[in-house]
Amino acid sequence: MPIVVNLDVMMAKRKMPAGELAERIGITPANLSILKNQKARAVRFSTLEDLCRVLECQPGDLLEYVPEE
Amino acid sequence: MLKQLKWNESRSLLLSQLMVGVFFAALAALDIFGWWVVRYICEHLIAVNHGLAGGYILLGCLYVCSPAAYTVLWDLHRLLKNIRMGQVFVADNIRRLRRISWCCTAAAAICLAAGIMEWPSVCIIALAAGFMALIVRIVKNVFERAIAMKDELDLTI
Repeated sequence: MPIVVNLDVMMAKRKMPAGELAERIGITPANLSILKNQKARAVRFSTLEDLCRVLECQPGDLLEYVPEE
Repeated sequence: MLKQLKWNESRSLLLSQLMVGVFFAALAALDIFGWWVVRYICEHLIAVNHGLAGGYILLGCLYVCSPAAYTVLWDLHRLLKNIRMGQVFVADNIRRLRRISWCCTAAAAICLAAGIMEWPSVCIIALAAGFMALIVRIVKNVFERAIAMKDELDLTI
């Protein structure tokens, strides 16, 4: 999929462990792992909003479009 | 209310499993007593005399359709078991539904052949089996779509 989720980069920048992030945005660690490992098919606006709020960033910092070769 | 619903669902599944068992026993009995059943049909139930060849055609149709019927009953049993375990929209159920559909198609073809050759009334069974194959095929298509939607939903975070 050409949409890349840069969640791990943002988490590293904010020094936020996965467990804490999952707890603060109210999703399970398993779902956070799906998101981190580029396995997710879609992201809810509410989840994106929570991620941006907790990580203090913009949606563009988390999602990136990389054209397929 | 929810408890009652669960109880009803559980009872319905149990009834379905029981019916599969009854049909399995009936099929086994038909296989064991096939010769006598066909003889009784030829001698007492049918006005037209089909002769010995007609009897053999009917008996052959019964025994050739038997493996397909056992396969259908086995797959129905496994399907109900999967549903009982909460595995409804899984690939295994699709595979089983597809096989049931093909078994029904095979039975319809065999019965149609027997109907054309000697027993016109068997064409009704062929029609019923063909119709059932069509219904099961459509249910299978619905299940396939449901699995795709479930996968999509499961991976929406």
